[in-house]
Amino acid sequence: MYSMLISGDIVSDWVGFWTGLWHGIISWQFLQFVVAFFSFIGFVLTSAIILILAERKIMAWMQDRFGPYHTGPWGLLQTVADVGKLLLKEDIHAGNTDKALFLFAPSVFLAPVMAAFAVLPFSPYIGLPGTALATGIVYLVAMSSLDVVGVVMAGWSSNNKYSLIGGLRSAAQMISYELPLVLALVGVIMLTSVLDPRGSGVGTISLRDIMQLQASGIYPGKGIPFWDFVFEGFTPWAWFFLVQPLMLIIYYTCGLAETNRAPFDLPEAESELVAGYLTEYSGMRWAMFFLGEYGNMTIVSAIASMLFLGGWSGPGVAYLTGLGSLGWGFLGNILALFYFITKVYGLCSVFIWVRTTLPRLRSDQLMQFAWLILIPTTLLNILITGAIYLIMNALGLLSSNTLPFLIVLGVVNWIMLFFFIRIVGRATVATTRRAQAPAIRAQRRAAAPQLPARAETSTAIAASSQQ
Amino acid sequence: MVTNQKQGISPALGEFSEGFKTQEMLLNLGPQHPSTHGVLRLMMTLEGETVVNCTPVIGYLHRGIEKILENRTVMAGIRYMDNADYLSPMLNETAYVGAVEQLMGIEPPRRAQYIRLLTSELQRIASHLVGIGTYLMDLGAVTPILWAFRDREGILSLFEALGGSRFNVNYMRVGGVLHDFPKGWLASCEAFLDTFEKNRRELEGLITDNEIFEARTQGVGYIDQQQAIAYGLTGPMLRASGVKWDLRVNRPYGAYREVPVNVVVRQEGDCFARYKVRMDEIVESIRLCRVAIDKMPGGPICTRTPIALRPPRGETYFAVESSKGELGVYFISDGSEYPWRAKLRGPSFVNLQILPELLRGHKMSDVIAILGSTDIVLGEVDR
Repeated sequence: MYSMLISGDIVSDWVGFWTGLWHGIISWQFLQFVVAFFSFIGFVLTSAIILILAERKIMAWMQDRFGPYHTGPWGLLQTVADVGKLLLKEDIHAGNTDKALFLFAPSVFLAPVMAAFAVLPFSPYIGLPGTALATGIVYLVAMSSLDVVGVVMAGWSSNNKYSLIGGLRSAAQMISYELPLVLALVGVIMLTSVLDPRGSGVGTISLRDIMQLQASGIYPGKGIPFWDFVFEGFTPWAWFFLVQPLMLIIYYTCGLAETNRAPFDLPEAESELVAGYLTEYSGMRWAMFFLGEYGNMTIVSAIASMLFLGGWSGPGVAYLTGLGSLGWGFLGNILALFYFITKVYGLCSVFIWVRTTLPRLRSDQLMQFAWLILIPTTLLNILITGAIYLIMNALGLLSSNTLPFLIVLGVVNWIMLFFFIRIVGRATVATTRRAQAPAIRAQRRAAAPQLPARAETSTAIAASSQQ
Repeated sequence: MVTNQKQGISPALGEFSEGFKTQEMLLNLGPQHPSTHGVLRLMMTLEGETVVNCTPVIGYLHRGIEKILENRTVMAGIRYMDNADYLSPMLNETAYVGAVEQLMGIEPPRRAQYIRLLTSELQRIASHLVGIGTYLMDLGAVTPILWAFRDREGILSLFEALGGSRFNVNYMRVGGVLHDFPKGWLASCEAFLDTFEKNRRELEGLITDNEIFEARTQGVGYIDQQQAIAYGLTGPMLRASGVKWDLRVNRPYGAYREVPVNVVVRQEGDCFARYKVRMDEIVESIRLCRVAIDKMPGGPICTRTPIALRPPRGETYFAVESSKGELGVYFISDGSEYPWRAKLRGPSFVNLQILPELLRGHKMSDVIAILGSTDIVLGEVDR
């Protein structure tokens, strides 16, 4: 036995393994990856801290109060102090929980959020190696739908009825809203197949390519350095939200539901379910759920800004990075990062604005909204986009340039948006007002014993009210 | 987990569930829960998210106010009335001193009656603001409650200037009120009403036409006219079901005999109607406040009453229209300084009784919507 173990083959394998590992770890590629990875985790954590502070400040501003005020100048360090508190807090485990699932759930919730950041390009050069992924959108959508596993785990393992209801609500909600979310993005991907510069008619689902397609080569003052600096790669009139505004609205609505934000915050509805699936969590585990939620907000906003609002494009980015010099390229990247993060936080503040304004939907209304309104609308949009393309292709209008197609599609989509907003309001109210009430009334009558008639009392009151 | 094993057709799934084994879940909502408006406990049997049955359990805030009143002289007891419905202390005090005055045959001076009207209406505004704000909070909107409390703050400051205390005002006295207005109080009251009218329009603009709010409240928690009367509902709960019944009009007392009130009635009988009645009553209260300020008569604020107040032997019932409904005091005196018995007819307690009936068949989210629309105060339910 012993002689077999120290025989030459095995020893050389062991040595080869360790040397291989050693060379792998100290290699430049790996070091680059580690640095990039930690800076991205740092970004997620910092972004969550900034977003929470922004939420508290913006909500305070809208609600006529001050918000956090005492920790640091103008309350700026409040969330930093909160994180410190959460790190030091006791991690309380309730009795009779499913221990393994309970402890594991926050990590399962947070991991896909972190993983989703791997394919987000922040500027032409800044991003993890995954940003080159040609199927970026599919990956992002897959990661955002994995979140629900952590929520269901937390809801089930907490041995708490509020948690259970919250977890199940969340599962139903996230799965339902996944569909219109993806279908809304299909509209954009169909656009890319028309706009494809190679003329092959094949679309792209790479985030970088979609962003580049939103930069038109035609702009006023081409050739004049100043206008080149401003408009090269930055053409807001070619951004996809002008062509598909309805899809941006639907995508954003589904994003609200995906991230469990108001008015779709049923899984953690404070007034009904205490804190939903978060009820039994405390300390850092609770904070991990929170981090995941705010990370999700960032991702939804990032995708929306890349697909509909031109991503990092802004005055000077393409011009400076195209000069070929290291210094100007660096400046261009910083500018790109600035534009991108501004757009992301702008969209995040829409999240906060919506939360301050709207009450919460009921669970059945939530499902109705997804299955009866959002999914048919997105499917209709796909149909209309395809039909317009086919008709214009048959008329020969697509041979020279794509501008007529875009204009027609945009006009149709803006009209659809107008009717969508008008119809949604009516439909939401009408379904409950007329359909719901008699059914509930009949059910209650059947269940409860009939009340004795109190005719004499009512006539007495009616008589005195006429006096 | 306490569960009921059940086989066969469940009401939530209908005929499709034949053969499935379903479990009903017993959910204990409260007494520590964010939206039970105090310490109400609801034991609910749930079928999925549909409520099968609901049993309210009360008594967690019982402080024995009625018994305390028996062991205090009449003047000392007024202060304890503040704690019954702690969102409208002025109205509680008016009911208590009104009962004693009725028993003793005292008519307060006209100025005192108008001061009572003014403070009562301000208090009604404050109470309705809390009711609306917390209702929207229950439905998941975070802003209205803060706007409502900001405006209520103005009313509490006015009370502080008037009686020295913001909450437990202890302002009413048998035969009148404690203090006359401080200098400039009426002007600041009018200034408050001016700003509040603007703020109220803003608040209503945020809430009333919101589609989600309408979808959550319209057709939910329907009470028909007959049922409302049979359960003895009063106040906005009754008026939202189409019954025109307001004690300020039907059994006028104090200055309401001179100041006509426009009763707000709605026919729908659902949660939205109850909210809208409260919102419209705020408008009416603002108008009444202005009328009271305009017509405020001069003269004394209190009749002369003996320090050792001994109501004559006998019994009486006196009721005022509180913010929640008919707040009655059944006062029995044996001729001593202490009331022999002071029974409160709390509108919250009576309005709460219809809750199990209302909740049956609704979704769990609707439980909160309906409970919020009844606008109960547990201090008054338990007393």
